[in-house]
Amino acid sequence: MSPLDDQELISRLKKKDEAALEALIAQYETKVFGLAVRFTGNHQDAEEILQDVFWTIFEKIDTFRGESKFSSWIYRIATNVALMKLRKRPKIREIPLEEELGPAMTEDGMIAEPVVDWSRLADEELDRKELDHRIEGAIGLLPLDYRSVFVLRDVEGLSAEETSRILRISIAALKSRLHRARLFLRKQLADYTQVPQSSLEADQVGMKKDEPHA
Amino acid sequence: MLKCRDIGQLLYDYVEGVLDPPIRQQLEQHLADCPGCIAFVNTYRQTITLSKELREEEIPQELQQKLQSFIKEKLHEPGFWSRLRTRLTG
Repeated sequence: MSPLDDQELISRLKKKDEAALEALIAQYETKVFGLAVRFTGNHQDAEEILQDVFWTIFEKIDTFRGESKFSSWIYRIATNVALMKLRKRPKIREIPLEEELGPAMTEDGMIAEPVVDWSRLADEELDRKELDHRIEGAIGLLPLDYRSVFVLRDVEGLSAEETSRILRISIAALKSRLHRARLFLRKQLADYTQVPQSSLEADQVGMKKDEPHA
Repeated sequence: MLKCRDIGQLLYDYVEGVLDPPIRQQLEQHLADCPGCIAFVNTYRQTITLSKELREEEIPQELQQKLQSFIKEKLHEPGFWSRLRTRLTG
């Protein structure tokens, strides 16, 4: 079956057309699977989420009123199904506060420790597969409120507006959670990339407290 | 004059590209002269880039087949269509 546009898909799903359900699955299974894996970190949970999501869409298609994009609606269902599953797991501890996730500061607000710029190492020297693996692991350490924002916005690449609508949170809440999630991940990656000093370039900076700066 | 602590607080808006131009300018002035903050901003950005580039997981064929048989089974579950008819007509 060739891909159907969303309107056609929706109207045929509302008539409970089984072929349309097949087309829906063919068109969205990769997206939903990807999201499920990012949320849960494993294929077994992703499998159950996939099944729940597509069956829910088929059953609830009448409640889709076209106020959002069809893909947003699907993302919302997938997010809710994934979160419901994850809430049954033991709760993750809170992540540190924003101030604790960035470089340490002196009392007068200047950076008080060396900050390694590993950003180019990531392009050139570090094993990309291992790095991806680290990121996935770090996403799994995020509390759910942070993880859902991070996965939708930074991994799936949805806009801030779309993400906030899907999660039904304000833009301000999105911003604060996303920023902290990014800082948390950055720190996890920074810890991983702490390679022997000799192989780092001259990006390493040390600033002494008593040296006024800028 | 902006301090490193201010950079941390402006970082999100800066990276999202929504900082007011005069403040952005001040921030960039600070960066021009503060390797620690440059390293911080670069690695913050790189974290986002790497996350966006996480390879898309291909759905394993086995899962695809399981999904299809799950759906088939649900569709042919006794009572599904009659429940549906009741809902549509009732």
